Amino acid sequence: MAEPALRVAGLTKRFGKLVAVDAIDLAVAQGEFVTLLGPSGCGKTTTLNMIAGFITPDAGSIHLQGRAVQSLPPFRRDLGLVFQDYALFPHMTVAENVGFGLRMRRVPRGEMAHRVAQALDLVQLSGLDERRPLQLSGGQRQRVALARALVIRPAMLLLDEPLSNLDLKLREEMRVEISALQRRLGIATVFVTHDQGEALTMSDRIAVMRLGRIEQIGTPTDVYERPANRFVAGFIGSINLLPARSDGGAPTGGLVRLETAAGAALVRLPSGTEPAGELALTIRPERLKLATADSVPAGVTAWPARVERVVYLGARIELRLRLADGSAALAEAMNDGSAAWSQGDAAMAWFRPEDAWVIAPPDDHA
Amino acid sequence: MTLPSRLPWAALKLAVACVYLFMLGPILITAAVAFNQDNRSYFPPRGFSLQWWGAAFGPQWLQPLLFSLELATLAALISGAVGMPLAFAFQRYEFPGKTLVRAITLGPLILPSLVTGIALLQFLSLVGLGRWMGFWALLIGHVVICLPFSVRTVAISLAAMPGNLEPAAASLGATPYAVLRHVTLPLATPGMFAGMIFAFIHSFDDVNLSLFIARPGERPLTVAILAFLDFGFAPTLAAVSILSMLIPLALVALFGRFVGIGDFLYQEAGNG
Repeated sequence: MAEPALRVAGLTKRFGKLVAVDAIDLAVAQGEFVTLLGPSGCGKTTTLNMIAGFITPDAGSIHLQGRAVQSLPPFRRDLGLVFQDYALFPHMTVAENVGFGLRMRRVPRGEMAHRVAQALDLVQLSGLDERRPLQLSGGQRQRVALARALVIRPAMLLLDEPLSNLDLKLREEMRVEISALQRRLGIATVFVTHDQGEALTMSDRIAVMRLGRIEQIGTPTDVYERPANRFVAGFIGSINLLPARSDGGAPTGGLVRLETAAGAALVRLPSGTEPAGELALTIRPERLKLATADSVPAGVTAWPARVERVVYLGARIELRLRLADGSAALAEAMNDGSAAWSQGDAAMAWFRPEDAWVIAPPDDHA
Repeated sequence: MTLPSRLPWAALKLAVACVYLFMLGPILITAAVAFNQDNRSYFPPRGFSLQWWGAAFGPQWLQPLLFSLELATLAALISGAVGMPLAFAFQRYEFPGKTLVRAITLGPLILPSLVTGIALLQFLSLVGLGRWMGFWALLIGHVVICLPFSVRTVAISLAAMPGNLEPAAASLGATPYAVLRHVTLPLATPGMFAGMIFAFIHSFDDVNLSLFIARPGERPLTVAILAFLDFGFAPTLAAVSILSMLIPLALVALFGRFVGIGDFLYQEAGNG
């Protein structure tokens, strides 16, 4: 289908002097799961509330399944919403909660009962029809909220931090479950979260937001491995970031040499990037390896480093390094029993050209 | 348990015992007095007789009792009906003079009802509505002093409502009217009922305001009891007092069975 499920253009919202959402463009394809990720105050929730119709935008348009909805009230938008606190109606049973949207649509009684049962089955809550929300666990309430949003067969699903009230283990289960359900139903979804783990595991695409703008939108791999700027690089996961500058030499075999304070580096430039000006060399900790001076592979960048601290994480081991120029660096190794580094060891920190990512030029508002 | 940690518990138990003693003690003694053989308030009672209880149901007492019940019921219904929209307005909307209107509405909570009574008496006389004295003036006065209760309890139930319930209903296709009817009102109703019960009890118990506005033949039970006290504390009065205490209690118990007001009477903001 050519028409996206959701198309947002130039969406803007100001609160007094503060520009909460600054001319955002966003398209969500049919069946796609898009996450709005960012720190609090980045505008992600305001964006969601404008899509849902709870906040009136100052400018911009919102199209749902090709229908302009920016001037429609929430009850005419045909959206399924799941709130952070679930917002279940405490005076209604589970079945009445799930059936509420159908009742508002004047769906006949028989069909309603059938669809409610189907929806409860979908979220594995069959048999709890007559319970009240207060008698349910957090995870069950979450499922009821999901069933209630899905039973109306909405144009799309909006999820507002639905997992943040659950404890860790349940949260991880629900991630998988919601993802699976969303894919099975093929329903376009916008998910708002500040949790990068949720964003990476659940999304088809992630829009990283800051100060009312989308800093980067792309697949989880894109935003994690090929961040567009320093903010995205730093917001998702940990990263080593070194200011760098081209040594002026011509690229050979697609590789260029960059000068950093820690030493020279051999990297591949992203296409379209000119090796000029202030660059930033980034390496994820899990891509920075440690070796003894005589066992560094050929064709890689290797810098002398000293192990300052070894942090045991169970499955992984975090190595805090000090580079030659005195700057700190972070490496993370699988705890596979191969190398045992200890505090004070001198070593070589190395990475292959494809392990590094060059951000160029550094964005002016980083 | 060590001594320092046991001491506060002992003090608490003592305090609770005192509360029971001074709350239940007088009531039990009054009840006992009503069984005296002679028209004297002996304690412990001498002899046994039910005649004073019979007298309590005589026309002399039955008439003010029915008058009080009628007054309290109407005062409760009206303050419930007026209090609900007022609470909504205070809780949900900003309007000019809101602070003032709220202060006036809730004022009787802190203003002595004696003052309200005198003021109402003066007002009705001055504007030439002195003939309203008696039932209608009492009703106006009682609604004024009962209104804060229903406004407060409805406001509490509105404030306790999770903020996302109404948006959630709207997102499911409920029009603003449907949201009000299916979500907001059902959740505010227990608060309204609780407020009405408080109003009923407050009206039924009131003597301060009623004292100024009642007139012969149109006086509530409390005023009738006060007037009878001029003749001393007779066993009849004991029986009447106990009845006037049991009737509202029975009503609360009865009402509480049919509508969920428990949370409101026993814990301020229930779980919704």
